[in-house]
Amino acid sequence: MTRLPYLKLVLATLALGTVISVVMLQVDWFGDAAATAAGPIDTLMEFTIVISSFVFAIVCVALGYALVKWRVKPGDEGDGLPIHGNTRLEIIWTLIPTAIVLFAAGYSWVVMNDIEDKQPDAMTVNVYSQQFAWTFGYPEAGNKWSEGEFHVPVDQQVIFKMHAQDVIHSFWVPEWRIKKDNVPGITTEAVITPNEVGTYQLICTELCGAGHATMRAIVVVEPREDYEKWLAGLDGEVPEDLLLTADQAIELQKQLQGTEQGIDSSGVDETSAENVDQS
Amino acid sequence: MESASLPVGHAGEHEHHGPPDFHRSARIDQTVLGILIFILSEIMLFASFFAAYFFIRVVVSPDSWPPAGVELPVLIAGINTVILVSSSFTVHYALEAIKHNNHRGLRLGLGMTWLLGATFLFIQLNEYVHIGFSARDGAFGSIFYGLTGLHGAHVFVGLLLLTFANIRAWRGHFGPEQKNHLGVEVPGIYWHFVDIMWIVVFVTIYVI
Amino acid sequence: MAVALRQPGWYRGALGALLGAAFGFGLVVALRAISGLDVFQTEQTGYPHVIVPLITTPFGFLFGFGAFDYWFRWAAGKPTVPEDHANHGATRWQDYFKFNTDHKVIGIQYVVTTFGFFLIGGLLALLIRAELAQPGTQIVDANVYNGLFSTHAVVMIFLFIIPMFAGIANYVLPLMIGAPDMAFPRLNALSFWLLPIAGIIFLGSFLAPGGAFDAGWTGYAPLSAGAPLGQSFFNIGVQFAGASSIATALNFLVTIITMRAPGMNLWRMPLLVWANLSTSLLVVGATPFIAGAQFMVLFERALGMNFFQFLEGGDVISYQHIFWFYSHPAVYIMMLPGFGIISEIISTHSRKPVFGYRLMALALIGIVVLSYSVWAHHMFVAGMFDWLRVPIMITTLLIAVPTGIKIFSWLGTMFYGKIHTYSTSMLFALGFIVTFLIGGISGVMVGMVPLDIHMSDTYFIVAHIHFVLFGGSVFTIFAGIYHWFPKMTGRMYDEKLGRVHFWGTMIGTWGTFVPQHWIGLDGMPRRVADYASQYGDWNLVISVFAFILGTVQLVFVYNMIVSWRFGPKAGNNPWRANSIEWQVSSPPPVFNFDQIPRVVGGPYEYGTPGARHAIMGDEDELELPEPKPSTVAGPA
Ligand code: HEA
Ligand code: HEA
Ligand code: CUA
Ligand SMILES: [Cu+2]
Repeated sequence: MTRLPYLKLVLATLALGTVISVVMLQVDWFGDAAATAAGPIDTLMEFTIVISSFVFAIVCVALGYALVKWRVKPGDEGDGLPIHGNTRLEIIWTLIPTAIVLFAAGYSWVVMNDIEDKQPDAMTVNVYSQQFAWTFGYPEAGNKWSEGEFHVPVDQQVIFKMHAQDVIHSFWVPEWRIKKDNVPGITTEAVITPNEVGTYQLICTELCGAGHATMRAIVVVEPREDYEKWLAGLDGEVPEDLLLTADQAIELQKQLQGTEQGIDSSGVDETSAENVDQS
Repeated sequence: MESASLPVGHAGEHEHHGPPDFHRSARIDQTVLGILIFILSEIMLFASFFAAYFFIRVVVSPDSWPPAGVELPVLIAGINTVILVSSSFTVHYALEAIKHNNHRGLRLGLGMTWLLGATFLFIQLNEYVHIGFSARDGAFGSIFYGLTGLHGAHVFVGLLLLTFANIRAWRGHFGPEQKNHLGVEVPGIYWHFVDIMWIVVFVTIYVI
Repeated sequence: MAVALRQPGWYRGALGALLGAAFGFGLVVALRAISGLDVFQTEQTGYPHVIVPLITTPFGFLFGFGAFDYWFRWAAGKPTVPEDHANHGATRWQDYFKFNTDHKVIGIQYVVTTFGFFLIGGLLALLIRAELAQPGTQIVDANVYNGLFSTHAVVMIFLFIIPMFAGIANYVLPLMIGAPDMAFPRLNALSFWLLPIAGIIFLGSFLAPGGAFDAGWTGYAPLSAGAPLGQSFFNIGVQFAGASSIATALNFLVTIITMRAPGMNLWRMPLLVWANLSTSLLVVGATPFIAGAQFMVLFERALGMNFFQFLEGGDVISYQHIFWFYSHPAVYIMMLPGFGIISEIISTHSRKPVFGYRLMALALIGIVVLSYSVWAHHMFVAGMFDWLRVPIMITTLLIAVPTGIKIFSWLGTMFYGKIHTYSTSMLFALGFIVTFLIGGISGVMVGMVPLDIHMSDTYFIVAHIHFVLFGGSVFTIFAGIYHWFPKMTGRMYDEKLGRVHFWGTMIGTWGTFVPQHWIGLDGMPRRVADYASQYGDWNLVISVFAFILGTVQLVFVYNMIVSWRFGPKAGNNPWRANSIEWQVSSPPPVFNFDQIPRVVGGPYEYGTPGARHAIMGDEDELELPEPKPSTVAGPA
């Protein structure tokens, strides 16, 4: 049994892993970032990419080496060395991955707490989803409301409180990196601090029926003055059946259950197919 | 399933020889092991309904359970529990009887078990009629009927198996050797499972 | 004709199906008429006069077809016809269309049938890709599209991968452990015949008013509870497919526990047997949960019950908990048998014992245990209990450890071996390692909560699914079919065509599913018939590769059919493998062995002169130890 060229194998692995990592890190995988959560998440992703590159490199180098070194010549009918295992090696390749994934879990936990940290001055926006439209309410601004489009001031933490009125929908703004399902009957929450002025798209990412693909809304992040101006222009008169707090919505749902119509007359049209391309 | 426990071939009856004997690598009888594994997956089926029950009761309405105005007939269900539990003893008696080659005892035990089981089912159906809410009445009604109905279906299947055992007992089948009374033992194991499951259902739905 | 109608078989089966349908229909009409209800209730989800016959017709067919004849005679205390060996073995092709109780016939029935479902599922995938080749709506509208990917996934998962593994194991597992058949041959046959039934129900949903079921293969409530009639076809079809897998798993467990040849203790079982033992534990424990979930949805739809309606006090998210408590273990149900196949192939074709055999077996058990504790990683953004996320993230990531053990041990097996890469099965095994690795790594990424918050329900997930399911399960299935084809048919397949198939599949898989990672991260959600035009180019690339991938599968079909008919004779042991199935003739005799083999060593004793795994009954025991018999050489 010849000794393996350990040094060469390790160097090859390191080299391949480094090359893959470097190439992979060139790409801006998640696209534009527009919220504070993007920072830690993107860093976590980069960390994961580096780890993964090396895992991939280890396997590829080992596989490639074995194939080059021990591929049989035609006609060779012999057997390999009867090695049944190697306890030390087996312990190593149990413990090291365990350590890596536990570290990854811990790191993820830290990031998770970081991005979900609520500040005392956070504002609240209510999100109402239904097949296949979005409505937004501003409970701190006299329950003003808006359909198919919402604005938030830049650099201001926003707590989105989400309600679904028929089936499950999901709230996702890719540039914010945050996604949360809107579930009938409960209020889910997402904490987001937009930090880049711009116009983005809100995408529904939970299959909700035929209009799922087109269930989108416009997201505008703008300086506070512009936001205030926009807010002032909104209608404060809430239609009778559009309620802007979660408890109100559920209460009404319960009252309406006999009539089987829910809050579906909030006046929002199904967003049209063009909406898909608007970002 | 029966013949699988009797792997000895029937050489001579057919032009080619039967399945050769296989090596038994475990002492447990195949059919008994089979029914035990089947029961394991049955327990998981119940568990899925208990999971739904947990969410409906503990997560959604922890304070109002059972909903206002609903009175579950705990006493009748309790009597029913006693009936079903005693049928576990009768089926055990039947098995013990045939182990001692007591065919009369076997028939008596199996017959009693069947009657007790049928009584249970009858009382259960009667309870459904008089209980005052239906399976469509909210999640409470649904999970009540879901769990008791799932269990009732199992009683029904158990009764079906016991019917077969009864028929065969009356025809004079079965004997003291294990391979000759699997037809009693296996439905019996299933019946014990149905009983124990009922105790769990009874306690969760009616008592706590 | 009258005689044919009394004998079990297709005529009586058809009659039974008719009677079953009439019975179900009549029952509904009669009961509803008596209770004064609208007889043909056709509200969206109702249709009792369709749903009930959907359940009774298959049973009628099975009665007629002869699935229950023996049990009924037995139950009624009549003398049973001793095992009718007319139903054992297959001498003509017609024998494959009977209620046959021979595990080898059933194995082939499984493999061929489920491969047919693969082609159908693949055809549906190609329709998906045709629609997605360009942004906008071209071929199908959003409704039909939703039906397409739902049926695509359901056919692939429930009718191809899960039963295909059951079929391969059905064929080789009893041989491997030295048993003449499975423990419950009739139950085994019944398990098989439930599958075409499930298939007809799933695909029949395309004919239902409102179209095929379209709430995704996950069928989340409340969307599924309010969906058109097709959804009920899914609810019911899953029960048949699920009953089939539970019955097979039970059968495997009993067979493995009670029917091993003398000398085959647990640590001498081939890893394929270990893998099926583990898989079966997952199946019997988890499958009842999807049965429960779909029963509840069906009850909501058909009977107006409420388990998941929040207005009625139900819990919306509980559906997902119950569903994923099955469906995460299900992904390992779709992977562990493949791991078993790969262990057999890599060891045989590297001519070396499996490295770290015991740890390999323990890793399987470890995966089984962990599998039951990770279900909620599909729900990180679903609004479930927040506190559950971190524990689930930890268990999820820990699954990488036993899986890594398997990968590293396969590599260890190859080191210092004599690696034969001429056979297509080995190529697929090697392709599997790298392809599955990518899928595993993307799995670890989505397992990390902050990353999953971004990636969930995007094409990144679609990429993960296909790297693990195509690069994992399907590659191992191909590897297994190539490996045991000579045993099953007695003939050799064409290695040249095999290589074309392998490279085509490899390029097709990577070309199709790699770009999906990118567009997913960049913002393309899954389950959409239409998408922003910025993703148009990559989607076109994906579609082109998908069609290449589809076309290449035709090479495989051709190779299998032609080689089965005309291939050169393979001999008993073309790979010079040690495990027992290779020591009998190809194809094996009706009851596998004249005498039960005796197991005297581990299954992978390559390279140790004189070491044996098993001594076949017809060898003279006195001449032991004898050198390894040099059996028929490979086709090289
Ligand atoms: C065969 C099927 C299969 C397999 C094997 C896996 C394996 C894994 N899957 Fe996957 N998964 C699916 C099929 C499968 N999955 C499907 C179908 C879905 C989508 C369902 C739907 O919504 O429709 C899904 C979705 C899915 C999600 C939900 C995503 C979402 O919807 O938001 C998650 C999240 O955690 C996940 C994680 C994992 C992990 C951690 C593994 C791990 O088991 C992977 C382990 C393997 C490795 C890691 C590689 C080898 C290891 C090493 C070489 C060791 C060293 C490695 C490290 C230290 C990292 N999967
Ligand atoms: C289990 C295994 C499995 C397999 C093997 C595949 C195979 C393929 N899948 Fe599938 N897929 C899933 C499981 C699988 N998929 C699941 C679970 C989902 C999620 C569904 C959901 O969201 O609910 C999914 C979803 C899914 C989507 C996402 C849909 C969406 O979210 O909108 C896409 C899109 O590209 C896709 C594509 C493909 C392609 C191109 C293949 C190719 O590999 C197919 C290769 C093609 C063939 C094999 C065809 C060969 C046949 C012929 C050439 C014709 C001859 C035909 C006859 C004679 C009948 N799949
Ligand atoms: Cu709303 Cu998808
Ligand atoms: Cu999972």
